[in-house]
Amino acid sequence: MLIETFKHTMAAHCESGTLTALLNHKGLNISEPMIFGMGSGLYFGYLRHTPNLNFPMFILRTKSGKLRKKVAKRIGIKFKSEKYKNPEKAEKELDSLLEKGIPVAVQVDLYYMEYIPEWERVHANIHFITIVGKEDDYYIVSDSYFPKLAKLHKDNLRKARFAKGYLAPKGFMYYIDSVPESFDQKNIIRKAIKETINNMIGVQPPFIGVRGMRMFGKKVVEWPKITRDIDHLSHEVMKINIFLEDQGTGGGGFRFLYATFLRQAAELFQSPELESMSKKMMEIGDGWRNISYFAAKIGKNRDLGPEKLKELGALIVGRADAEEAFYKELKTVIHKI
Amino acid sequence: MGEKNGTELRAEIKKMIIDTLNLQDITVEDIADDLPLFGGENTLGLDSIDAIELVMAVQREFKVRIDDQNLAREVLKDVNSVAEFIESKSE
Repeated sequence: MLIETFKHTMAAHCESGTLTALLNHKGLNISEPMIFGMGSGLYFGYLRHTPNLNFPMFILRTKSGKLRKKVAKRIGIKFKSEKYKNPEKAEKELDSLLEKGIPVAVQVDLYYMEYIPEWERVHANIHFITIVGKEDDYYIVSDSYFPKLAKLHKDNLRKARFAKGYLAPKGFMYYIDSVPESFDQKNIIRKAIKETINNMIGVQPPFIGVRGMRMFGKKVVEWPKITRDIDHLSHEVMKINIFLEDQGTGGGGFRFLYATFLRQAAELFQSPELESMSKKMMEIGDGWRNISYFAAKIGKNRDLGPEKLKELGALIVGRADAEEAFYKELKTVIHKI
Repeated sequence: MGEKNGTELRAEIKKMIIDTLNLQDITVEDIADDLPLFGGENTLGLDSIDAIELVMAVQREFKVRIDDQNLAREVLKDVNSVAEFIESKSE
């Protein structure tokens, strides 16, 4: 069986893309960038000490799950969600929802998505897909990173939903119970943008927002001290590229996605000033993309001497300066709309 | 954009790929319009770093934005898809 009415679309980011597809299916016509912006998804954090990871990492969006909960609260969406210890029970309940014609979002380890070319598959426990049907032993999957509906063997889905390790999915699934007939979109946008501004330049711990970017720029120069050897250093520097461009950010570390949100908001408010901010955010994204490329290149070539790392650090600090000026300006624009 | 321009555009794209990525021993004639740029066998064998470099080069040389990773994946499939994307933006 297949839920014929479900419309598969690709998306920049799996969490916001899955949520958007489910909302669209439920009749709420809204775009992925709008969901991302209205959920204040844009973020920055440089985490020096991370549980289960032995190396600093940086994050570019809010914690997994936060976007969905925030959007739900602001718009008035009701979800049903569940985690499971028993894979048989998880599968049975998923099948039962599909029988009722309800598409279900599940958290999975990306590695088991057999329809994605092998060289692109990595173990990543916080990937989201939507299950929209079942034919014999295969589930029909809508994956926002894949151009069309795909088939996934039930054994692989089970492995993916119950993969172990950091941020393990634990069989997590959710579906939408109800959406409101109307909501005050303009008010939500104002509130959401203000929260993002606060996350970036408000009173925050020193590793969050633009201060976090500066910390990152300063600390990356010291990475040779905390890496085992040149191979380890190269691996960590190249991961900057993966985090910024490869892991479902939509490119430029989510900055392009946020720029599109601002452009759509500008249309809604009929605000040329907001439109101009959208263009500025695109340029900020270009700068992050440049960092991504620079890091990938010096990492790949093992060109990781102090001068190169200083250059990388300066590029990152440059983004902090650009973003700080941007949010200050956005603050004045948001008070006018 | 006309057919002749389409052919010229494809040649320009191939030249851009060779120059940008500094591909040794490869000429414009070696790259078929439908040769997959990325992936396993029978491709040009580019990697993800080349992909970012190409995205930035396409933006710079042809003044079109590729601001979505999925879009980038589609656009950078082969020379034809790059040309079609540039053409669609200049219509």
